[in-house]
Amino acid sequence: MTTENTKYKKVAYYPGCALEGTGHAYNRSTKAVGKALGLDLVEVKNWNCCGAMEVKNIDPKIQTYLSSRVMSVAANEMNMDVVMAPCNGCYHNLKKAEYDMANDRESVEVVDRLSKKAGHKTYESGQVETIHALDWIKEAIGEDGLKERVKNSLAGIKVANYYGCMYTRPRHIFPEKDQGPGSESTSSPHFMDDLLAAAGAENVEFPLKTACCGGAHTLSDSDTSTKLVLNILRAAKLAGADVIATECPTCHSGLEMHQIRAEKKFGEKIDIKILYFTQLLGMALGLKALKVGVHENISDSIRYLKEKGFA
Amino acid sequence: MPIHEKSLIRPENLKTHEHLMLDGVDVSGHWSTFIESRVVRDYNETLEDEIAALPGGEYIHRCWQCGSCTNSCTVHAINPDFNPRFWIYLIRMGMESELLRDKDIIWQCVSCNKCTYACPRDVVPEGVMKATAHWLELKGHTPKSPSMHFDEVFTEQVVRTGKIEESRTIRRFFARTNQGLFQDWMVEMVKRMLRHLPVGMLARMGLATFVAPRTSNWGPAASAIQEYIDEQHEKRKEALSLAELVEVARKDAA
Repeated sequence: MTTENTKYKKVAYYPGCALEGTGHAYNRSTKAVGKALGLDLVEVKNWNCCGAMEVKNIDPKIQTYLSSRVMSVAANEMNMDVVMAPCNGCYHNLKKAEYDMANDRESVEVVDRLSKKAGHKTYESGQVETIHALDWIKEAIGEDGLKERVKNSLAGIKVANYYGCMYTRPRHIFPEKDQGPGSESTSSPHFMDDLLAAAGAENVEFPLKTACCGGAHTLSDSDTSTKLVLNILRAAKLAGADVIATECPTCHSGLEMHQIRAEKKFGEKIDIKILYFTQLLGMALGLKALKVGVHENISDSIRYLKEKGFA
Repeated sequence: MPIHEKSLIRPENLKTHEHLMLDGVDVSGHWSTFIESRVVRDYNETLEDEIAALPGGEYIHRCWQCGSCTNSCTVHAINPDFNPRFWIYLIRMGMESELLRDKDIIWQCVSCNKCTYACPRDVVPEGVMKATAHWLELKGHTPKSPSMHFDEVFTEQVVRTGKIEESRTIRRFFARTNQGLFQDWMVEMVKRMLRHLPVGMLARMGLATFVAPRTSNWGPAASAIQEYIDEQHEKRKEALSLAELVEVARKDAA
């Protein structure tokens, strides 16, 4: 076992706001998978919002401050060196803040000023490593480790793996990606494919892995979002998938909401199930559908999962 | 030679003639479309600097006009009028009146960052789109976009409590944009959720609407952030000479 593997056995867990609201199923299933795999999640104490996609449009430096405070708490108040964020938005913003704190002097000055006024230590770049839930399972357990632990193979479930925008773009905030064999690819990500394949699922060839769901404007420009989601749903269906696996609460609820909106507004019904990858992994590890929060999704996959023997 | 991106030329400047002979050559019909020559006098020489002074617009000067941004753009794929390369060109040339033709769609950038990924010059076109949308609003060319309303409602809540409680954000956004909360597709969504949602989850969601989640001891952070936002707001107004603009308008009115 490498040192890297041990490092991820116990991580600071940053669920973020969405995982306490619309993305609660992702929260529940991430914790359940962690427990089933014997991995330790210690929630970041008294965390705050990372700034999501909105705060940067009011002022980008405030977003950097908000994200850096989360990392500062993990490093200085909890003595942790890894923060795991399952939400693409949180993950992206913490990565972006890390990059800015290492490379942009003005960001460092503003964050330092605000941190002092707010009464906590200023985050220093390099204090923590931010990882996604995909990195966490991939590094701490790996495909082989996962295969050994699968109790209820996902065989027969055809999955389109959907990664969204914020997990891979822009490239410069993810220096560990695109580093050759074994690393994640920003143009054609595969960590989710790898994990679900290890759990027995059949991954379909899905060209829209990193397409945009319009999540930033899901309510402010709903027609655009519905059109973008329709592209994703249609492509997944055409690729032969029964399920779209997601790794972001904004993408996930965007797909679910606009699947219904497409039906009501444009009369186009596309029957495809939408599940968090952690829900699929949890069921493969022998957890019941209720344990991974399938009932908390907007879309109803319960009957489908019953047919496949998971509920 | 065919006319590339014909949609970018003002329709009144495209000329076709049913019957026209020039020096004995028949130039009638569609295949002999002419572009009217024109003289542009209303340059705004400070336009690029103004956009560059707003967050996101900093690197606009690097643009080489390769078009990778428009080529990779998510919104361009569903609306060909959404053209970041063209807008960056117009801004750098100072062609404000041309830019204003598209003022109502620039805010529709979904921040997917495909352009930023593709750009060989690190212009960060996504940032330029945000800066431009912001500029349009600050200069009074457009009302606040629904997206800006959403960003404001969201940020206000984060500054106040440190956290977001989604149902509150959604309700405030619909109220501020004068839309009803009970849109048919939302009602349908909630109906479907209720079919399989457990009672515990409903109770928790209901509770969150009364007791907003908040970060404890957030007060000092809240005031530090608000102070910074206000300070930046003043700086931007100054960069765009908005005070002078108001002064000129006031004198003009008097």
